[in-house]
Amino acid sequence: MEQLFEILNPHFLLRNAFYAGLIVGFVCPQVGIFFVLRRMILLGIALPQVSNAGVAFAFLLHTLGWHFFYHMESEKVMALTGSVVFTLITIFVLAILERRRKGFTENRIGFTYAIAGAVSILFVSWNPYGKSEVLSMLTGEIISIPDIYLWSMLAIYGTIFIVLIGFHRNFVLVSYDIDMATTIGKKVVLWDIMLYLIIGIIISFGVMTVGPLVIFGFLLIPAITARMITRGILPFCIVSSVIGTAASFIGFYISYRFDLPTGPTDIAILCIILVLLYIGKILVRLKR
Amino acid sequence: MNTENCITLKDLAIGYSGNTIISDINFSLKKGEFVVLFGPNGCGKTTLFKTILHIIPPIHGTIVYGDDYTPRFGYVPQRQYLDEIYPFTAEEVVLMGTFGQRKPFCPTSKTDRLLVEQCLREVGMLELKKDFFSELSGGQKQRILIARALATRPNVLLLDEPITGLDVLAQKKTIELISELHKKRQLTIVMVTHEVHHIPSWVKKIIHIHHYKVVLGSLEEIISLSRIDEIPT
Repeated sequence: MEQLFEILNPHFLLRNAFYAGLIVGFVCPQVGIFFVLRRMILLGIALPQVSNAGVAFAFLLHTLGWHFFYHMESEKVMALTGSVVFTLITIFVLAILERRRKGFTENRIGFTYAIAGAVSILFVSWNPYGKSEVLSMLTGEIISIPDIYLWSMLAIYGTIFIVLIGFHRNFVLVSYDIDMATTIGKKVVLWDIMLYLIIGIIISFGVMTVGPLVIFGFLLIPAITARMITRGILPFCIVSSVIGTAASFIGFYISYRFDLPTGPTDIAILCIILVLLYIGKILVRLKR
Repeated sequence: MNTENCITLKDLAIGYSGNTIISDINFSLKKGEFVVLFGPNGCGKTTLFKTILHIIPPIHGTIVYGDDYTPRFGYVPQRQYLDEIYPFTAEEVVLMGTFGQRKPFCPTSKTDRLLVEQCLREVGMLELKKDFFSELSGGQKQRILIARALATRPNVLLLDEPITGLDVLAQKKTIELISELHKKRQLTIVMVTHEVHHIPSWVKKIIHIHHYKVVLGSLEEIISLSRIDEIPT
């Protein structure tokens, strides 16, 4: 209990990591529902990996003396740029191929995942300087988040959340029934691009802050769990975010209490919530 | 019935990615008319249907709308193409019909809720509005999709294979519902089907896609044309 009060204290040393986890837990499931509903779960695995490759590539360039931002001291800005560029290019290429129905979706995403994973490791192995940074991202060590990162994250994720809520009807309609959306005058391509842009930004920024494993987990598991226990799109969206936020809170507490890495603990909590609710659902069904 | 043309297709060629499936399409739809678009699977019915709806651009030719008449289309898709992973209630599906008129960031208005209730009542599905759409029977889903189309406040209702895959009773009920809506609301209706026995006997105008040509005729003419095809050569 003492640790719990410590975490909730505004002067808590690791407060930024705690708040960042809560933001990810609250906002990521809202994007994740589109991964689940559009049956793009595999893309949710591949894109964080691509983003990670972008980060590793940026660190490598930095070590080799290629600086895009001469006036910036921190290589993190370059890493973020690498993450955003790699993710957005990949997501748009995959979206174009999907629309043109070239080959099988699973093959394309599997190939993307494999190549992104391989180049990430190669970039890191060529660059001993960035090794520790990238490895800590891979394991989801959310500890050292500077203030500027937290505020940027709040601004970006907050804006994305507002856009998703404000244009929720359009995103849902173009995902569910593209023909109906066209018939009533919706600009389907525009809404699709906007959604892909949101996915790209949320993943690339999230990977930079909390790592690919945590982002993948928070994108998919809350939405899958909520889909199992809710009726109607509104409860589905609300419950997804509630599960994400709760898992982030509990995960952080347990990791702090027992000195465990935060990211994997969060994901373990998400999985436990999923399994418990699944068992609960079966029991309710049996009682009826 | 009004004699004024509401939609006219002039020298229309349709297809995908520049590949023409059907060319020289010329016909008109009159206001309040009930038309059946008939032809075998893969003949281009849905392509023609989607071209009229502006979902697919025409390769050649024009679609002209009547004077002082902007058609508002109510679209009823083939229900099996709608993914059941979406956790929509029947009411939420119908509510989609109002999305064309709603501004972003605005919650659902009371007027929209009332409209949705009215559409659900009209198709006899008000009691099941809180049920999962994916758990409804084929006939019930079809009714919900018709209610969704009605919620767009259409003057032209286009239905893509509305009774395919339904049992006989559900087929009868769906056709009765469509006929009732046609009479009550004076809607122009275009119904797509690939089975000749799905065409109601009282329908006077049938657009038949026959060997990649569009032929207009009555039910008798279409049946005789279909029978010629069945004669072995």
